[in-house]
Amino acid sequence: MTRIPYRILPLAALALPFPAHATVYMTVEQAQAQMFPHQALTQSFRDLTPDQVSAIRKASGESPLSKKLKAWRAADGGWFIVDEVVGKHEFITYAVSLDAAGVVRDVEILDYREAYGGEVRDPRWRRQFIGKRPGQSLKLGADIKNISGATLSSKHVTDGVRRLLATYATVLAHG
Amino acid sequence: MRAAFFLTMIGICLASAPARADEPLFGYIYTTDTLPKGKTEVEQWATLREGRSQGDFHLLQTRTEISHGVTDNFQLSGYVNAAWADAKGNTPSGETAPPEVFADFAADPNGRFRKTRFESVSLEGLYRISSPYTSGVGVALYLEPSIGPRTRELEARLIVQKNFLDDRLVFAANATLGYEWRKLQGDPGADPASVDYVTHWDKETDVNFGLAGSYRFTSNWSLGAELQNEREWAGLDPFKASNRTNLAWYAGPTIHYGGRHMFATFTTLFQLPWAQDYANPAADNFIVNGITNADDFEKYRFRLKIGYYF
Repeated sequence: MTRIPYRILPLAALALPFPAHATVYMTVEQAQAQMFPHQALTQSFRDLTPDQVSAIRKASGESPLSKKLKAWRAADGGWFIVDEVVGKHEFITYAVSLDAAGVVRDVEILDYREAYGGEVRDPRWRRQFIGKRPGQSLKLGADIKNISGATLSSKHVTDGVRRLLATYATVLAHG
Repeated sequence: MRAAFFLTMIGICLASAPARADEPLFGYIYTTDTLPKGKTEVEQWATLREGRSQGDFHLLQTRTEISHGVTDNFQLSGYVNAAWADAKGNTPSGETAPPEVFADFAADPNGRFRKTRFESVSLEGLYRISSPYTSGVGVALYLEPSIGPRTRELEARLIVQKNFLDDRLVFAANATLGYEWRKLQGDPGADPASVDYVTHWDKETDVNFGLAGSYRFTSNWSLGAELQNEREWAGLDPFKASNRTNLAWYAGPTIHYGGRHMFATFTTLFQLPWAQDYANPAADNFIVNGITNADDFEKYRFRLKIGYYF
């Protein structure tokens, strides 16, 4: 019977469970209150049709991850949208506010679950999206600065905002 | 029995891995991902190499690693490598021969070879030339020198990566060139005029080609497959056809769990029956049913990597 070389197999210690927890930086309600202060928001969720999904993909180059569009209409005609993009391991939840013409007013990261790449929460980086409108070029490295060391997150958030602007033009702009 | 124990250990480790994760996606194939500047990671590898066409063969190799992001595109790592072997009657002739990492030890051809050793320390540099997230195709270069009591190795690797489907589907290809020097004891049975008769540095060149793909099918979890082609030459000239010694193919599945600070990757490779033994005549061939039993090859490989990001 061969003795097992326990001393060269220190895996057991590494297998100790590390508790998992997501970091919620802002709830949907907090984001609504910040982006549309003193305004009533009316829930206006939509189920995207295959034609709308196709149109969004054609306009933005990105396919919606979900056919459920989580949008709220503001009293001033603006829109508040909650969406998700793919992170390194889990989804990144973010919110975008648009004015009545579909122009970006703000972008907020609500839930970020990754060890790295959290720099996308930096207000200076998110400020680059303000004023972007449907149909306008919105690409990482060209229109939005890349965050070195957080490339995947900054790329996917940029792609997500571009997709939401196309979603506005395809779905919300028509009422 | 021992294999079952190690597999159970691996299973326990995976089952208890919590909801956190990251690279590497594969057990054998490298991707172009590097640690962000200033970030540090510790990683533990365990590779169990099991089975020959005959006899007993068990080889466990461990690597304990610490990596640091020097810049966002350049990562330095340090490794400590150890090995344990247990073999008996593991060659086609029925004799016992130690695996390559123990080639500098004498083995009783009719007895059991069992030994644990510190193998070497390694330094690894990984430089990413282009990122698959911004450039379409990721390209990186890897260089790893190793030094041990009776071994020297230098490994260079070209890594190419292409991502699809929001970076959830990842393909990677590697081309690896490795030079190995092992200080072998003299063989009293060898020709006294030959270098093998006295203690000498044995030289070998390895050239490996690898291809892998993995899909993140749900948050944190990726499933994929790896294919590895391994070629060996005696000496340090991989362009000298007459120096070819071995060729083998491996393939198998890989599963990866990545969370916020921890990851685990488990890969199983099976040797495919397409091996070649160029070094020995048919009568002394190391190939049985297409599987090579040369000293650096076995039927199955199980590799577990567990890492923690700070």
